[in-house]
Amino acid sequence: MKPSRSNRINGGPKQAPPPAGTTPRNYGLPLPGVNDEEFGGSLIVIEGMDGSGRSTQISLLTEWLESEGFAVQTMGLRRSGLVAKDIDALLAENTITRMTLTLMYATDFYDQLEHRIIPSLRSDFVVLADRYFYTLIARAAARGIQRDYLHGLYEMALRPDLTFWLNVRPEVAFEREFRKSHAISYWESGRDMSLSNDLFQSFIMYQAKIRKEFEALAERHGFLAMDGEASVATVNAELRKRIAAHLGIQRTHYRPSAALASLWR
Amino acid sequence: MTGADSTSTATVELPRGTPQFLEPARSYPGALVVVEGIDGSGKSTQLYLLKRWLEIGGYRLHFTEWNSSPLVKSATRRGKQRRLLTPTTFSLLHAADFADRCERQILPLLHGGYLVLADRYVYTAFARDVARNCSPRWLRNLYRFAPIPDITFYFRAPLDVAVNRIMSGRPKLKYYEAGMDMNLSLDRAESFRIFQGRILAQYDEMIESDRFVVMDGTLPVNKLQKQMRQFVKSRIDLSRFAPKKMARRPR
Repeated sequence: MKPSRSNRINGGPKQAPPPAGTTPRNYGLPLPGVNDEEFGGSLIVIEGMDGSGRSTQISLLTEWLESEGFAVQTMGLRRSGLVAKDIDALLAENTITRMTLTLMYATDFYDQLEHRIIPSLRSDFVVLADRYFYTLIARAAARGIQRDYLHGLYEMALRPDLTFWLNVRPEVAFEREFRKSHAISYWESGRDMSLSNDLFQSFIMYQAKIRKEFEALAERHGFLAMDGEASVATVNAELRKRIAAHLGIQRTHYRPSAALASLWR
Repeated sequence: MTGADSTSTATVELPRGTPQFLEPARSYPGALVVVEGIDGSGKSTQLYLLKRWLEIGGYRLHFTEWNSSPLVKSATRRGKQRRLLTPTTFSLLHAADFADRCERQILPLLHGGYLVLADRYVYTAFARDVARNCSPRWLRNLYRFAPIPDITFYFRAPLDVAVNRIMSGRPKLKYYEAGMDMNLSLDRAESFRIFQGRILAQYDEMIESDRFVVMDGTLPVNKLQKQMRQFVKSRIDLSRFAPKKMARRPR
């Protein structure tokens, strides 16, 4: 007898329905052993492609928040103590497949969430995230992995208090990156996807796919879209205005210190 | 916003029979046979004997084990040594490891018409990670890319029998293996026993929903093996995996 069935695992034993009254801070499921109603702090995410000015803004915001008396912690992709080095090594080879890479990035994300973000929020820090799982969803979805699978994967992630999306045209991002490092990353140009042998073309095509994913994510998660092509000072002023309103900071005047003055152009 | 998010939760639990994910339909000529059960249930011995039987018969087969991909080995080792792993990252690392084997070995071999034998499969993760308090819903979604086995043998032995087999042969239990991360007991052997009991209960939960073929792990090895071979023959047309006869060279 050959039972008719789908050839993918699902279902399983009857499960209890999720408890009524969803927790506000996660996307549907709490992390095992974590009660996310117990802690405060603020989680602020900045998303945007390489060359959109994310890192610059995070440096400036960190200084501003510290000058206002807030303790700041940062996170980003591939920064976990657990697997960051392994992902670097895997990316250097080209034997890794998309599911494995997706799950290694998820491990990296949750390790930082559990060992860095949550302890910081418990200590009332402002956590500035230089990208969040949204980028991971966009990249994996652009490579054909189902979106609902990916949202399920990150169901235990914390909902940010604010998410900013720095928008730049791929052409502008390409130029900025090229000026900075005289090269474009293999992965950031989606070269594993064989879109084009021309690096510039590949970059533009890949970023267009990523952008499409981000547009859907922006709507679903209520991103605050910002013009990443405006000057650093303009973008920074807008970010400060929103963050100040969230944190209850009255005065938002800020000039970077000498150490960061070079970023202010 | 809440509305959009709640749909994501709903779509995770897809109804049975919905074609999904990497493989739109069951479209491969191969077959997948897996063994599951707690440590000491005798499953590895039985799968080894099944493999020997098929190897001696010349069938096209491939044997794969849980947790054997070199790709994520260093991360797992580091996480275990330094005790950095939480239930979530423990689960994700093993899923990454499985995904690597699945995408690079299991699926290509099934498409290439091999009989694939797996010592432990995703049910190991379901049982063990739920015993660690991971959400069953999250886990079922996590492993959605895995092909469903043609046969899942579940070797069921009473907890005491299985634990005694392990304790008499391998007294040094590792930290995570013994479930010490869950503070079940300060005594490693006692913690192991409690953890294995929880895993056993999770396996039992899946017998019906995942169509396990329950095997009595207390029976003599050769008797159990006879049952196993008979069941495989009744369920899978082994001639599909028989050595291909080469066309005779014309003289």
